[in-house]
Amino acid sequence: MPVDKDTMIEAIDVNKEYRRAGAIIRALADINLTIKSGEFVIVQGPTGCGKSTLLNVLSGLDLPDSGKIIFDGENIARATEDRLSKIRRQKIGFVFQDFNLVPTLTAIENVESLLWPTVLREKEIENRAIAALRDVNLLERKDHYPVQMSGGEKQRCGLARAIVHRPRVILADEPTGNLDPESEKQVMELLKQINKDMETTIIVVTHRGSLTSYADHVVTMEKGSIKRIK
Amino acid sequence: MAFRLWKKAVLMTLREKKTFTVFILIYTSLIFLTSLFMQLAFNGGLEGNAGYFVLIFFGVSLLLSLLYAWIIVARNRKTWATLKCIGYTNKNINSLVTGKIFFTTLIGFIIVIEVLFHYTAGVGYLQSANLVTEVPLVLIDLLPVVFTFVLFLLAQVLAIILANRKIYKVRPIIALKKVGE
Repeated sequence: MPVDKDTMIEAIDVNKEYRRAGAIIRALADINLTIKSGEFVIVQGPTGCGKSTLLNVLSGLDLPDSGKIIFDGENIARATEDRLSKIRRQKIGFVFQDFNLVPTLTAIENVESLLWPTVLREKEIENRAIAALRDVNLLERKDHYPVQMSGGEKQRCGLARAIVHRPRVILADEPTGNLDPESEKQVMELLKQINKDMETTIIVVTHRGSLTSYADHVVTMEKGSIKRIK
Repeated sequence: MAFRLWKKAVLMTLREKKTFTVFILIYTSLIFLTSLFMQLAFNGGLEGNAGYFVLIFFGVSLLLSLLYAWIIVARNRKTWATLKCIGYTNKNINSLVTGKIFFTTLIGFIIVIEVLFHYTAGVGYLQSANLVTEVPLVLIDLLPVVFTFVLFLLAQVLAIILANRKIYKVRPIIALKKVGE
């Protein structure tokens, strides 16, 4: 990996176990991974290999049993819930497989919702949401409810919500899992463009091998361990 | 910031038409009935048994308030988890839920006041035209309605405490679970 960029996220000796139906499942085993600022990383592997668990611990949504997660210079593995919320609001954008838009809010309101608990003025929030929707070519659908949008449009709306606060990192969990090939291409190209234009670090978790062409690095996981980094 | 979240809570509540309408109708009926029996209790009506009815209606309203809070949290678990993912704190989400619960109660109270005003205006007109003489001009005084509203607000406070406890337990990770997982 290039050494001229700052380290954005670093996982050091990370372990995570789950107890399911009485059995202990080792979801992450001695994970060591460094992601530099501005990189586009795809984490791939078969179902149950631990890639989503890795995404969860990298974002502070789940805590590792042992090890450190250094996010932008701060160990978030032991951060408080309020601190983690603040980090997520300021530095992370999430893109979900199921889009996770609020059904009672329009596209623009869904994008704005991320900024509601901030001190920004209403007009500033609206301007930022409009800019984000324009970035994902969805401005003409700004007053539509999620139910009135196609899967691809919903995901682009989710993407606008993920970039409205100009995060340092975007984490996407199977972002094209519910999309047709055309929408998949649009979403991946948008992610690539955001990565290039805004220098945002992008981490995409997917089981689709066809998406690896978009990445600077591909992390392949197997049985909770990193099998290889290309 | 909390004020903005309350405003957005009102917006979201108004768009959840079915749940909102049902609970508005229930709250309006309960506030009306509790006020009516409180008025009777003040006047010693129903041979002094009106107070029991006040207790019954208040008990029902308390149960329904808890049910409404439970519905708001349980039906929107994925939304709350998503909001936590994107950086909302428990306090931020509590502001949204509190806004939803108080707004519904407030609308119920306003409808009752509105109905009582129209009743008085209608009966006043009919009495001035000598068409009706037996019906009281004021069905319920303002005082029992205000007391009832305060009682209902207390019930909502309990509902909000319940909702807050449930929201605290919603893990953001739920947002990343796929449908059916």
